[in-house]
Amino acid sequence: MKKTIPLLIVIVGGIIWVLWAFSPHYLLQEVFYNKFYLPWSYASAPFAMLLGVMSLSMMHSNKIKRRAPKWQYSYFFFAGFIITALAGFIGGTQKGGVFMWMFENMQMPMSATMFSLLAFYMASAAYKAFRARSPEATVLLVAAIVVMLAQVPLGMKISKHLPTISQWILDVPNLASKRGIMLGVGLGSVATSLKILLGIERSYLGGGD
Amino acid sequence: MAEKMSFFERIQRLDRRYIYIVVALAIIIPLMVPYNSDNVTTPSTENLYQMIDSFAGREDRAVLLSFYHDASTMPELYPMEVAILRHCFERNVKVFTLTWSPSGAPIIDYAINNVKEEFPDIKSGVDYCNFGYKPQAFAMVIGMGDNIANTMNTDAEGRKLENLEIMKGITNYNELNLVVEFSGSTAGMTWITYARPKFGLNVAVGVTAVMAADQYPYLQSGQMIGMLAGLKGAAEYEKLVDVFAGYRDPAIDYRIKTDETGKKLLAGRPFGREILQDESTKKLINITTQTKAEFTKEDFSAFVSKYPEQMSLLQGLGKPEADKIVVDINAISPEQRKAMGELTYLDLKKMSRDIPYKFKVARIGMNAQSVAHIMIILFIVLGNVGYFIQKAKQAKVK
Amino acid sequence: MSFEMMSNLVGAFFTLCIFSFLYKDNPFYQMAEQLLVGISLGYGLVLTYTRVFIPYVYQPIILKHQWVLIFPAILGMLYLLRFSRKLGWLSRYPIAFSMMAVGASVPMGIHATILVQMRQAMVPIETFNLFLIFIGTIAVLLYFFFSKAHTGVYGKFVDFGKWYMMIGFGASFGLTVMARISLLIGRIQFLVNDVLGLLK
Repeated sequence: MKKTIPLLIVIVGGIIWVLWAFSPHYLLQEVFYNKFYLPWSYASAPFAMLLGVMSLSMMHSNKIKRRAPKWQYSYFFFAGFIITALAGFIGGTQKGGVFMWMFENMQMPMSATMFSLLAFYMASAAYKAFRARSPEATVLLVAAIVVMLAQVPLGMKISKHLPTISQWILDVPNLASKRGIMLGVGLGSVATSLKILLGIERSYLGGGD
Repeated sequence: MAEKMSFFERIQRLDRRYIYIVVALAIIIPLMVPYNSDNVTTPSTENLYQMIDSFAGREDRAVLLSFYHDASTMPELYPMEVAILRHCFERNVKVFTLTWSPSGAPIIDYAINNVKEEFPDIKSGVDYCNFGYKPQAFAMVIGMGDNIANTMNTDAEGRKLENLEIMKGITNYNELNLVVEFSGSTAGMTWITYARPKFGLNVAVGVTAVMAADQYPYLQSGQMIGMLAGLKGAAEYEKLVDVFAGYRDPAIDYRIKTDETGKKLLAGRPFGREILQDESTKKLINITTQTKAEFTKEDFSAFVSKYPEQMSLLQGLGKPEADKIVVDINAISPEQRKAMGELTYLDLKKMSRDIPYKFKVARIGMNAQSVAHIMIILFIVLGNVGYFIQKAKQAKVK
Repeated sequence: MSFEMMSNLVGAFFTLCIFSFLYKDNPFYQMAEQLLVGISLGYGLVLTYTRVFIPYVYQPIILKHQWVLIFPAILGMLYLLRFSRKLGWLSRYPIAFSMMAVGASVPMGIHATILVQMRQAMVPIETFNLFLIFIGTIAVLLYFFFSKAHTGVYGKFVDFGKWYMMIGFGASFGLTVMARISLLIGRIQFLVNDVLGLLK
């Protein structure tokens, strides 16, 4: 029972959505979509955020309680979270306030830098791991080198045909392989969606009864 | 023999921190020593440029820019956003912005404020409108196909959309005919899956280079009308804006905004492939600092005749060099600048074809990219050479 | 020192904290990492409140008296029961509500990723490149079809698919290299230009 009703909601609602995709009928486009779905989906949206807040807070307070490795740093998590939230709720979210200042000068530089570390790891991997061990790997490396050279202004200086060759690689063999893979993935994801729609796949509802 | 072997072993086991230092230097040095370089434009960039340019000056057409990313992919996507906004502001294209992710909101403000500094006439709610952060992409994308003002309701400043001047002539995707999504993860899939087949919306994307190769099937099928791929795409777009939308003819007086019938006159010039191939465009895309305005004799007299009151002052500044007339912008004294008036000074400065730093960030980055790519290729080659020599030696020993 | 300069120095400090990880794991990196998570979460919470809760829950219900919207609001709150052992099953309702839209993704997804792509794969073969694309797409599809053994002439044909994919992965790899480097360039441009003011 605890699973049947949610499952029925998905199946019935899902079928209405299928009809919506095909029919321009007033009941579907106006009553179902504009009058029901739009406001309901907005009104139910904000609460999922609290789920993230709860789960991260629980994780870090447990860490501090159990004195898990590096537990001291969990205080920085709480400091960051509480100060930002207070700054936002009390000071407002406008530009020039503490809230935006913290986001722009702390969060943004840090998250951008976090990703830029990958450049170093990749350079190190290029040196230590990319080996032309087989004909397949050699083809991969050659295609990669041609594309890499053609992307940069210097590539034009090496040969003025490089951009044309690289464009051909992207437009022809790359396109064909990506289309083949995409068709496979597309069929797979449609099959999964259908399984959900028909109630065969229910793992998203979680375990238990 | 034993010594040589240990050498190859040693370079195989080189500490990664040495590699990190080489990487850092390969990027810092070319950034500090700028040089002029050219980025070849690809069809996917040109198509997007032409599509946006076809909206120039039209009341009943607009572009929507969707900033669907956070700071982590900003170095690749932000220069694209700046370049497209600049294009829209130069050519009077109505532009809307939104983001589906809360962390995208400050990036929109950054981009708009940054570009707007150079365009004092551009106004919020008239020439552009920022919807800000909106939740529930799926619902919004479909809702806008019916009516934008009803779906979006307010802009980021809390103003009712139906009262804004920019909304005049804009109802749904029939007018808001193009969306460009900047993303490091989804590449416009919501638009392509729902808005494209249902409402015929044109979709283009600005993606990180990581995802670019996967988008070619969509480009060929026309589901995407254009794509900017990573920093290179941004550099290409910057270049196109400099050559066309940002171009100023020395003979045309841009203070006149409308013609005698009241029709808006647009600055810049329309896209043309033959112009791109022309030698003269080289002068328009120099990314080093330019201080000299060069004219042909006819161009100079046409330029001077636009300002009859300052004619003698301007003529005094022009120094003949070979078959050209050159004005050194740095040599203009503050008194002379005051005497000719700020508008004239800016017009003259524009003729030096100097590009402000913010509009050439991607191209300066591409210079560093050149060196870094060569470095990575050398790393791959060196690593492989070491590996194979070591392997051959081991085979011999056995 | 101007306010902007000070802000940039703060940004530079945290940038260097993260970069310090390249040398080795250290307290500065650990601190920055946790701060990053905390600030992101706080930011998300505040923006969700001001940009979603206020205009779509508070204003319609309290100011415009659209009482019926109390139901979706309660539905959304059921998410939070995930952590309860007894009432956890109630959190299935909001999940089910958002899962309904899968119904739209079936026909639309078939259209966007399968039908249109198939149509494009079947255009008249007018040029050699179109021929190569045609052969490549089929070979790649067959490469993943395991119900028939990859032997004989069929096996040789299917093998083409592998080479196509190697070139495709190579192109992706080359572009990935470019993307990673670009991210680093962006950070270094920030340090060298915005903080030190050395680029012009």
